[in-house]
Amino acid sequence: MSGLLTTQSALFASAGGASFIGTAIYTALVLAVIFGLLAYAKKGITSRVIKNPLTQLSEQLYLFVENMCVGIIGPHGRKYVPFIGTLWLIIFFGNLIALFFGFSPTASLGFNLGLALTSIAYVQYEGIKQNGLIGHLSHFAGPKMGIAMILINILIFVIEIVSELMKNASLSLRLYGNIFGGGQAVHEMNKLGESIYVPAGEFLMPVKLLTVVVQAMIFCLLTCVYISLVTHPHDEEHEDHAGDHSHTAAAHA
Amino acid sequence: MNVIGLGLTAFGVALGLGLIGWAGLQGMSRQPEAIGKLQVAMLIAFAFVELVFLLTVFIGAPTLARIAPVVTP
Repeated sequence: MSGLLTTQSALFASAGGASFIGTAIYTALVLAVIFGLLAYAKKGITSRVIKNPLTQLSEQLYLFVENMCVGIIGPHGRKYVPFIGTLWLIIFFGNLIALFFGFSPTASLGFNLGLALTSIAYVQYEGIKQNGLIGHLSHFAGPKMGIAMILINILIFVIEIVSELMKNASLSLRLYGNIFGGGQAVHEMNKLGESIYVPAGEFLMPVKLLTVVVQAMIFCLLTCVYISLVTHPHDEEHEDHAGDHSHTAAAHA
Repeated sequence: MNVIGLGLTAFGVALGLGLIGWAGLQGMSRQPEAIGKLQVAMLIAFAFVELVFLLTVFIGAPTLARIAPVVTP
C-alpha cells in the first residue's frame, strides 16, 4: 500500500487474472502477432498474381467483415469496415492467445471494458454526426406522441439512457465471462485427471476454439447492430444497386 | 442455496439456447438460401441468452454471497 512500484501494488499484484503490467504484456503480444501477420500478408500485394496464401486469407477476412457490415448496417455500412475489422482482429487473436497461454488480454475485465467503451463511444459519435446532437438525443425519447404523453417520453428517455450505459457492461461482461470462464473450466477439469496424469481439461480445447470465433463474431455483430440503430442510409437510390449486389453475396456466404 | 440457484439458471439458459438452436436449424433446413441471415440472427439471440447466465454468475452470485452468506454447520 506504500506506493505504485511495490510488489503489492495494483501494477504487479494479480487481482483475479493478471496484473496491469501482465495484461499490457499480453496485449503487446497480441499486437505483435497481428502486425507481424499483416506485414507478411502485405508483401504479396505488389505482384500481379497474388500467390501469398496469407494475403489470400486476409482478403477472405476482409470480405467476411464487409459482408457482415453491409448485411446488417445496410449499403452505407462499408464505411465501418476498418473499425469492425480492427475489433475482429484484436478480439480474435486475443481469444486465440487464451488457447496457448494461461491468460489472455480478453480474459481481463479492464481490457474488455476498454473495448466496449471504445465501440459504444464510436456509436454515439456516429449518431451525433449523422443526426445532430438534438436529433440523437430525441432518438432516445421514443416516437412523437403529442404533448399529452410527455411524461411517457421522459420515462422512455431515462430507460434508454440506462440501457445505453448497460451496453458497455453487457459487451464487456459477455467477452470476459466466456474467455475467463473457459480458462477456469479447463483449470478445474485438469484437477479431475491429476491422479492419473491425464490433462482432462485439454479435451475442452475444441469447444474453446468454437468460443473464440463465436465471441469475436458476436462482439462485432452487436457493434454493427448498435451502429445500424443510430445511423440511416442517406442516398438510398444511389447505392441501391451496390446494396443488392452485396446482399446476394451475403446469401451465398 | 447459491448452488441451487446457479443450477436453476443454467437449466433455464440451456433451455433457451436449445430452443434457439432448434428453431435456427429448422429454419435453415427449410430455407437453405437464407442460412447467412439466419445464422446472424441466431448468434445475436445466443449472445443475449448467454448474458443472463454470465450476469447471474458474475454479479448475482457474489452479491448473494455477500448479503446472505452460506453458513456451514
